[in-house]
Amino acid sequence: MVIKAENIVKKYKELNALDHFNMEVKEGEILGLLGPNGCGKTTAINCILSLLKFDEGDIQIFGQKMTPTSYNIKKQIGLVPQEVAVFENLTVEENIDYFCGLYIEDKNIRREYVKEVIDFVGLTEYKKFYPKKLSGGLKRRLNIACGISHKPKLIFLDEPTVAVDAQSRNFILEGIKRLNKEGSTIIYTTHYLEEAEMLCDRIIIMDRGKSLVTGTVEELKSITSTREKIIAGFENPEEDISDKIKSIPHVLDVGKAHGEYIINFENGTNNLSNLLDFIKDNDLTYTKLYSQLPSLNDVFLELTGKELRE
Amino acid sequence: MKNILRNSIYLGKNMFRDMSFTFWGLMYPIILAGFFYIAFSGIINMEIKTINVGIGRENQAYPILENVEILNVMEIHENDAEKSLKSGKIDGYIKNDLTLVVDGSGLNQTVIKGILDQIIQIIALNEPMQNLDFEVNYLSAKTQEANPMLVIFYSLIAMVSTYGVFPGIETAVTSQANLTDIGARINTTPIKKSTLLISGVIDGLLINIFSNILLLLFLRFVLKMDLFTNIWYSGIFILLGNLFGVSLGIFVGSSNKKSPGVKVMFSIATTLFLSFLSGMMSPNIKVSIDKNVPILGKINPISIITNSLYKINLLGNTRNLSQGMILLAVYSLVLMAVSYLFLGRSQYDSI
Ligand SMILES: Nc1ncnc2c1ncn2[C@@H]1O[C@H](COP(=O)(O)OP(=O)(O)OP(=O)(O)O)[C@@H](O)[C@H]1O
Ligand SMILES: [Mg+2]
Repeated sequence: MVIKAENIVKKYKELNALDHFNMEVKEGEILGLLGPNGCGKTTAINCILSLLKFDEGDIQIFGQKMTPTSYNIKKQIGLVPQEVAVFENLTVEENIDYFCGLYIEDKNIRREYVKEVIDFVGLTEYKKFYPKKLSGGLKRRLNIACGISHKPKLIFLDEPTVAVDAQSRNFILEGIKRLNKEGSTIIYTTHYLEEAEMLCDRIIIMDRGKSLVTGTVEELKSITSTREKIIAGFENPEEDISDKIKSIPHVLDVGKAHGEYIINFENGTNNLSNLLDFIKDNDLTYTKLYSQLPSLNDVFLELTGKELRE
Repeated sequence: MKNILRNSIYLGKNMFRDMSFTFWGLMYPIILAGFFYIAFSGIINMEIKTINVGIGRENQAYPILENVEILNVMEIHENDAEKSLKSGKIDGYIKNDLTLVVDGSGLNQTVIKGILDQIIQIIALNEPMQNLDFEVNYLSAKTQEANPMLVIFYSLIAMVSTYGVFPGIETAVTSQANLTDIGARINTTPIKKSTLLISGVIDGLLINIFSNILLLLFLRFVLKMDLFTNIWYSGIFILLGNLFGVSLGIFVGSSNKKSPGVKVMFSIATTLFLSFLSGMMSPNIKVSIDKNVPILGKINPISIITNSLYKINLLGNTRNLSQGMILLAVYSLVLMAVSYLFLGRSQYDSI
């Protein structure tokens, strides 16, 4: 086990930023911390890294208790903080070399690593630039480079793709996968479902300081009682037919959005043909009809009663 | 050791290239010096108008005073002294017991007092009168040197010697996870906080001493002012000013959660106010404070430096400097010690 955090409680006055938060990270995996703004993702990372005092609980990294002076543990960790944190008056290259040098003493190795990471994040053309001359996305890449240049065994990335365009975002996500292939264990926080789904081996869903569930994407989806979701739009009739639809076998519930019906079924056999029969029997003409597997959003909705969408 | 050096180089580069350092550290002192020079140049370059001193013929200081160029010695009996002072015929009267009587305070009175103090010292030490060298280092050379207006420039030098306060603030906030994002980041790396702080103090001192040297060169070679007759003693006070400034900066930086911008403004205002009290805007303020609340001049760090520079270079007096030196050193140590309490907390309640 790379990280073991048990029952962490962190209070800010009345607010419980972390409320018996639990997290286990296995070697070599990409673990996603998924949850809405303010759910405590950053707080969790700061507690694990011993930046923040917490009220209860226990944290171990690499099997040892983590403290502010655990320099040997810190040597093997890389952090990419949520806010860009670099020196404004050092160039891209100097910034990376400074942070790399806090871990790697050998000058030659360091030169190599710095060059490698600059290529890795695609800042070669910009290495003599000062951060204020970089665009937001490029600044984020620099922020990432400063956290990973020393090839740490364990990397924390706190929402590295926020406010980044699609191209930069894909670039960053691909990079993270590569880091993981090269042997780093990764903790990745995000409030984007798609990112978590495509990137992470396992996901912890968080809300209000609690870790609600943990598992692979498939495991999480299997928690929901919804097994299949069919979305249908009809030409006729004008009136609401939700109640009629509910009479179809195995229908859990029916929702309506943008004039379309969202029909959740509790298990996955013959649902579509049952629905087609219903359409025929009622002389309906459909304009749209497709089936969807449940998403993480459904999981989140079911756990918290609210959607995880911006 | 290697770590300290590496950190000093990078943190130093970061501070040195900062726009606010370029302004507050390099340009502002020179702009102020230029401004003061223009504003007061009329006064500085003016021949000191003759100072009238009344004294009795039998007074032992009479023959000495007679030889002082800028003094116009008038033979007046002690009984008539008051009348002459009131009418403004003389600026001061020296009684037979070598006490000075004045009516009002001003620059002329300050000059007389300065000269008289020296005479008393020499008489007390029982040195032969020929050893009286104050004419050399005080009066005979150029009128400029004798001009108390130079207090303004000593005060300016004193103020900027404390400008290590800015790199001090920078050092404190970059090392604290709860003060800046970069501080938080650095606290997750394996660097020791002591390494970070020592590097910052070294940087602060080097950068500010560099900026002080620049100002002194500007005063000497551009404005052509001869401010220093004893560069060694002066240097000690300027260095102590630097130490005090950096310590104050680390204290201001570490003791509260205000933003770095607020901390910098607070420091500028504080040093400016202390300099104002020590006579940077007008020497009359200093004269008036020395007269009414003398303790203020003795404890205000910028006054200590200003007064000492004035004494060392203008009055050629290097005695009794240790009290000021000790006080500045004590201030610095206390500020550092208190800051250490704030900086020592390595885990934070809130970030
Ligand atoms: N210094 C602080 N003082 C008081 N409350 C705080 C402080 N820092 C964070 N909080 C609160 O703690 C909770 C968790 O914050 P945290 O930053 O961990 O959320 P997050 O999941 O990282 O959110 P985001 O996705 O917006 O980054 C929030 O309600 C926040 O308002
Ligand atoms: Mg966050």
